[in-house]
Amino acid sequence: MSPLGSALPVQSGALRSPWETAPLREAPAARAPAGPAAPAGAGFGDMLENLVGNVENRQTEARSVTRSVLLGENPNLHQSVIAMQEASVAFSLMVEVRNKVVESYQELMRMPV
Amino acid sequence: MELITGISASSGALNAQRTRLDFIAQNIANANTTRGPDGRPFQRQIVTFESQLLNASGAGPGNGSALSTVRVAEVSNDPTPGQRVYDPGHPDADEKGMLTMPNVNIAHEMVDLITASRAYEANLSVVKNSRQMALKTLEIGR
Repeated sequence: MSPLGSALPVQSGALRSPWETAPLREAPAARAPAGPAAPAGAGFGDMLENLVGNVENRQTEARSVTRSVLLGENPNLHQSVIAMQEASVAFSLMVEVRNKVVESYQELMRMPV
Repeated sequence: MELITGISASSGALNAQRTRLDFIAQNIANANTTRGPDGRPFQRQIVTFESQLLNASGAGPGNGSALSTVRVAEVSNDPTPGQRVYDPGHPDADEKGMLTMPNVNIAHEMVDLITASRAYEANLSVVKNSRQMALKTLEIGR
């Protein structure tokens, strides 16, 4: 009993020690990356926002170039078409990124708990 | 950032070829113009191209090398004298009845027109191809 009892606290301590010290150790360690991770967590949102903003900028640019071509201010028809194509590729890239993000989210949600 | 790589080079080339087409159109339109704003016959105009470095800093991120595009360097007058024809009834004929025609040769202009339009089409194909490459690259994730 005593070897067991002595072994159990050791084991439980050994069991507990990773569980207890890990949060204790990881709390600063998690907070240290959480310091950058909190902006990094916001950074992902920022990145998405940047991506969407970039796509939006390209579409605005394409629209303004097309507008100036239609108004006769700019004789370069190809610039308008190229700007539209670039906006379309940027939009497709954004859609692909969204698909990937949604896919990985669903993959996480399918994880058996 | 360029999503469709090399498109600015093609864009510049399209611009240059379009300018060339404009001047060919001007030459053909004025093939019979015997009086310009300066009172002299029309002179054929030639477009000269020059290459232009897109990214002077050399190899940028994403681009393997420094690309150069093309731009119109100058538009010059063709100095060859125009054909002189005898047309005493023409208001622009001189006292001997000789009339100087523009130095535009329609056959030359048509050949230039074909060259310019084929060059334009070639650059359009490059644009189309690079766009398709970008879209195909996006299909990796599917």
